Amino acid sequence: MARETRGDVPPAWFDDLLTRREAVRRLGLGAGVIGTSGWLLACGDDKSSRAVKRGGTVTVGAEEDAYVLSGESANVGQYPLNANIFEGLVRMDPSYGIVPVLATSWRLRGGKTWRFALRRGVRMHDGRPFTAESVKYTFDRIAAQGGGTPGFAKGGTKIVDDHTVDVTPSFPNLRLVEQIVHPENSIIAAGSDPVKQPTGTGPFRFGSYQRQQQLVVKRFAGYWGTPAILDEIRFKFLPDANARRLALEAGNVGLVLGVPNAAVSSLKGNGFDVHVSPAGAYEAMYANIGGKKGYTLLQDAAVRHAIEFAIDRRALIQGVFDGQATPEQTMVPARLLGGAAATVKGYTHDPAKAQQMLEQAGWKVGGGGIRSKGGRALALQLIDGFPSAAVHTSVAEFVQDQLKRVGIGVKIVKTADSPAYTARMKSLQGDLWLERGSQNDANPSFLPALLFSKKGLFGPGDYQTMFAPGGSFEPLINQALSAPSEQRVKSLVAQAMHTLIDRDAIVIPLAGISAIAASSSKVTGFVPQPSALQVRYDRLARTA
Amino acid sequence: MWYVGRRVAYLVPTWLGITLLAFVVAQFAPGDPAGAYFARRHGRTPSNAELTRTRHQLGLDRPAPERYLRSVSHALRGDLGTSYTSGLPVMRELLGRFPSTLELAVAATLLAVAIGLPLGILAALKRNSLLDQLTRGGSLLAASMPSFWIAYLLIIVFSVKLHLLPSFGTGGLDHLVLPALALGVGEAGLVARLARATMLEVLGEDYITTARGKGLPERRVIGVHALKNALAAVVTQIGLLFGFLLAYSAIVEVIFVWPGVGRLAVEAIDQRDYPVIQGFVIFAGTVFILVNLVVDLIYQRLDPRISLGSAPTAAVT
Repeated sequence: MARETRGDVPPAWFDDLLTRREAVRRLGLGAGVIGTSGWLLACGDDKSSRAVKRGGTVTVGAEEDAYVLSGESANVGQYPLNANIFEGLVRMDPSYGIVPVLATSWRLRGGKTWRFALRRGVRMHDGRPFTAESVKYTFDRIAAQGGGTPGFAKGGTKIVDDHTVDVTPSFPNLRLVEQIVHPENSIIAAGSDPVKQPTGTGPFRFGSYQRQQQLVVKRFAGYWGTPAILDEIRFKFLPDANARRLALEAGNVGLVLGVPNAAVSSLKGNGFDVHVSPAGAYEAMYANIGGKKGYTLLQDAAVRHAIEFAIDRRALIQGVFDGQATPEQTMVPARLLGGAAATVKGYTHDPAKAQQMLEQAGWKVGGGGIRSKGGRALALQLIDGFPSAAVHTSVAEFVQDQLKRVGIGVKIVKTADSPAYTARMKSLQGDLWLERGSQNDANPSFLPALLFSKKGLFGPGDYQTMFAPGGSFEPLINQALSAPSEQRVKSLVAQAMHTLIDRDAIVIPLAGISAIAASSSKVTGFVPQPSALQVRYDRLARTA
Repeated sequence: MWYVGRRVAYLVPTWLGITLLAFVVAQFAPGDPAGAYFARRHGRTPSNAELTRTRHQLGLDRPAPERYLRSVSHALRGDLGTSYTSGLPVMRELLGRFPSTLELAVAATLLAVAIGLPLGILAALKRNSLLDQLTRGGSLLAASMPSFWIAYLLIIVFSVKLHLLPSFGTGGLDHLVLPALALGVGEAGLVARLARATMLEVLGEDYITTARGKGLPERRVIGVHALKNALAAVVTQIGLLFGFLLAYSAIVEVIFVWPGVGRLAVEAIDQRDYPVIQGFVIFAGTVFILVNLVVDLIYQRLDPRISLGSAPTAAVT
């Protein structure tokens, strides 16, 4: 019988496998540290039951192999497919809470330096004990590539003792702990070869890797936490979504990642379990207010607000996303903002109001039903899309139809993939830019600061030229980057998003997007995560 | 020999044309390789300053003619550059995967010939019979279906419904069957149509009528005189198909996770791994013109008239 699991639903057999002693130990490890409740939420509430068979192998149909195999950026098993070979100092639970992993506690010292106390009794896959040396090795390696999002600095990571490390980023970074949940910051064994023998501390150790074919991981018997249930996982790289789905139906794989929305009902109907994560990504359009190269129509705030009111988001979700999306209008996942998400009001579908706003702004209906003012037609160019036009399916056409109904013409320009999209962005030619973004760390200020702040997170680029509103948004997002309190950060980001969405209508949110996976009845224990990078496979198992 | 020498000499400008085409296509493809390179490594788009640095690091800020001449000079020494994504020499990547593509192309060609050739010949011999009608309809259908569609159909029937064959991967012969069929079925349709048409043309020739008039047994007329001449044209087509399969099996390789050069190229395009894209175009083009050369030489052996008039002394071969 087909089942649907949602991201918060825990593994069915968890109670059977987690002994009382282990449970007490794990509870103890998290005591006093933020995020523990989120982890328990993810792991502890057992509702369904399927007998679990210990050991064995499960084959997973993964998406394309996008590992980097050279230089300091080599990341086999780490990113974008996190095969659980590596662990970070912390990780993120489905509620975006911070969970201690290789660090047991941390605190800010002197305004800029983070001191981490490291977990004792942990072994790397090569048998060496996990110490501060590997943390320094990892963060220095990232520093050599430019420092990454946390801004690791050359020589900025200092070993205090074997189990204590000080991290001083290149700028005062109050968001560092929330950022290092990203698997790119996972700890790798000092001096290990990240391609031939990726070595971490995770529940699985490296088995073998054939580029664009498969990555095999095996259970690490010396794991410090609850050992993985499976002996082995074979991740097969199946870049074609249809081929992935057919491989599941043929019984050649037990679990597939990246299931298209359109396949969900059919898979459920055929007895497969479908796993839908809470929204961890978003579909949105950004309005070009930069006004360069003649694309100035959206400098008129009335037009931007009219667009917001003209779109029937619920119809979009049903018609284009096959019901597999949520009507979130926060861009940054509402779950990450918590209670502060209510600050962002969003828009109802009100085409009459949209038309009224356009009329009042002087845009009168002309030939072909398209409005114009002063001889200039209200005809926009919509660039679709990031990361690829294929991801957005027919969202652009839906928007085109909706806007035409209120007298706004839309010409769609499809870009095949993200390099083509960013090249188009470089030309600044476009009014509306359709994107799908993902929240892959626990820092709510990351995406708004990266995309919309005047100075950007890494220096100004095309996003800043076209979309940065300045004004009150700027101090809000800057304060969010440097606020010490998690709640304060969420509140500030929510206010910043309120400015971007409700007041300025620069962001036109369309839907919250979930990650979807599916498994056969022979596999159980998959827990979908809003960020696919955080999926854990240690509770994955075969059914008896 | 003159014919052979002239054919080989043609290869040089053709090959240079391929390298130029590969370079120009890469230059005008949408997307900035430096931006893609950065995004791949950092998971985000670069700022203006980061983009400039990356462009310099990759040598993309050098003038285009300089980069082209350098790439040709390196290619002549078998150096097609280094992959942005794997960090491995492109030639090593291509050569490492070529045997898989070759295996697939050989299997698909054998299937195409084994199915298409006898069907086409039989259809010609039994013109307007039910067999002929079925062959014409079936071959048209097979030749019209895109290979990716055939691939999905085959997976649904043989993997999902019948559970007879694996839907992807490599290993034993069972893994080869579906991708070879996906590529070979359409080609079989083309071979059947060509074999039928050529055979019909040959059967209408005067020398066949003469052979029959002389009272030669029909088996000898068909088997020796007609088939030999018909095969010359079919062999040329099969050779071209083989070259085509070597270079254009990419979609089938992606669907079946076949570790060939086609899949490497598709993923290189996704990642804007320009050295691999350029290397693939040069490599596939080189293979294609070499296969063409071999086909021409075989054709010349099968039909010595080919070289008549080609050489200044054109009398005898």
